[in-house]
Amino acid sequence: MTAQLGELVLTHLSDRRRSLLAWGLPLGLWSAFIVMIFPSVEGALSKAVQNYPTGLKEAFGIGELTSVEQYLHAELLSLIVPLAIGYLAVRAVASGLTGAAESGRLDVLLSAPVSRPLLAAASFAATAVEVAIVLVMTVLLTGLGSLVAGAHLSLGSAIAGYANVLPLALIFAGLGIVATGFSLRTSVVTGSVAGVLVTMYVIDLIGRLDSDLSGIRYLSVFKYYGNAIEEGIDPVAFLGVTAVAVALAAIGAWLFDRRDLAA
Amino acid sequence: MPLIETEMLTKRYGAKRGIEDVTVAVEAGEVFGFLGPNGAGKTTAIRTLLDLLHPTSGRARIFGLDSHRDSVRIRGRLGNLPGDFGYGRQSTGREALRLLARLRGVDGLGRGPELAKRFHADLDRPLGQLSRGNRQKIGLILATFHSPELLILDEPTSGLDPLMQEEFLTLVGEERRRGCTVLLSSHELDEVERVCDRVGIVRDGRLIAVERIHELLGRARRTATLELAEPSDLVGELRTLPGVTDLEAADGKVSFKVAGDLDPVLRAIAKRHVTDMELTHPTLEEVFLTYYGGGG
Repeated sequence: MTAQLGELVLTHLSDRRRSLLAWGLPLGLWSAFIVMIFPSVEGALSKAVQNYPTGLKEAFGIGELTSVEQYLHAELLSLIVPLAIGYLAVRAVASGLTGAAESGRLDVLLSAPVSRPLLAAASFAATAVEVAIVLVMTVLLTGLGSLVAGAHLSLGSAIAGYANVLPLALIFAGLGIVATGFSLRTSVVTGSVAGVLVTMYVIDLIGRLDSDLSGIRYLSVFKYYGNAIEEGIDPVAFLGVTAVAVALAAIGAWLFDRRDLAA
Repeated sequence: MPLIETEMLTKRYGAKRGIEDVTVAVEAGEVFGFLGPNGAGKTTAIRTLLDLLHPTSGRARIFGLDSHRDSVRIRGRLGNLPGDFGYGRQSTGREALRLLARLRGVDGLGRGPELAKRFHADLDRPLGQLSRGNRQKIGLILATFHSPELLILDEPTSGLDPLMQEEFLTLVGEERRRGCTVLLSSHELDEVERVCDRVGIVRDGRLIAVERIHELLGRARRTATLELAEPSDLVGELRTLPGVTDLEAADGKVSFKVAGDLDPVLRAIAKRHVTDMELTHPTLEEVFLTYYGGGG
């Protein structure tokens, strides 16, 4: 079974090799650009941030922008990267299940001695690897940008900041598998889970802006996301969110196993 | 013990019909065909056997194993060609073959390359660039490359050109001689006649008859057309024979339909000077008429 899982994961990654480049390169180059321009905008930024409305700073977790790590968090890691990588995770997990159903590949794979939960597990594992590769590419290009521009980015902090996105992405991969228990249409699965992704972000934002509504943040995984590039990874949150993601994937695999796969 | 056995197998999609109370047994080494028009329920029956659909009621056993509980073990011993085969536009047949070989624990690519040569199938072009018939060849190779004990083929010759259809029918014959059991679905009577030992006629989700193929054809109405050298009382005599209907005669030509034993008809004809004669096989519709008495 482990050998089958490995084969399925490798095939998934091979099929999505273009996607790895299509996501990893732009995200990495963008992140590198942010780091590279920091030395030249540093002074002006500090002054600008002082004039930002307090609510805006709280909403996006913007404190002082006196370090490149703070700048990277404010520009990318607080909003763009978690949303983009979350969406990538949904797309990736859907391609292994609903995409396979739509292309006819699922019927072929299920002609072999492979269980449906194994297919779901392979899709989840491959998504985790795909997201990790994209994050590694992003970190490497960011580090390179820092070296070239002399931005003095702490590589350890950058790794923590980007690695912290992985559990968050896996939550949406897990939700993607749950969604396949109800629909085998890629547009339905990606659309509905992307909707949950944005809704969770907005819920967290509202909870941060209005202290009376802070309780609603428990409905959103973004509550546990934090600011790892500056504060380091919270291991409890990291492992807890990962465990919930795995649990969601397991529930999704159970639902996927129980559903009909109509022609 | 039958290799495939279903008992009152029923699949409904909410209020919509799928299959209803299908009970059938397919013996080891047999080539069995599900015959019926499009939408009759053949694919639903096959997908339920393969555990892609979960039955509403009833049960199915393959190799003596439960088709749902032991599905993975069963699929390890069979080959399947899904209806309307697809695998993804970017992938090549070789990539699909390599993955399936590894999932099945087959060394190398099994008989894949040999079958590709035989069917003139291109294993190295992306499937999205192949015609429907050429994709179907890849599907056939994926179903048979590992020499399975049971082959399940849903509309296997769909999209194949006549030469390749012929090659496919030959392959099925070879598989049978190897000891493989074959379950196929088709809406082509000629096709099942060529390869099947028995057929199950599926109509509106129900298995309405299971017959040996020669019995099925014998019972169905065939169309006979004769050209006589001189006027005769053949029409009058044919009218008295059992199974003869729809008699028409004009300008020395006689046409009629005949069901059942042909011997009395041939004896009557043999007494006349016949310059030409054509006996056409029943169409699928005519086979159905036999079983429905014209009820459609």
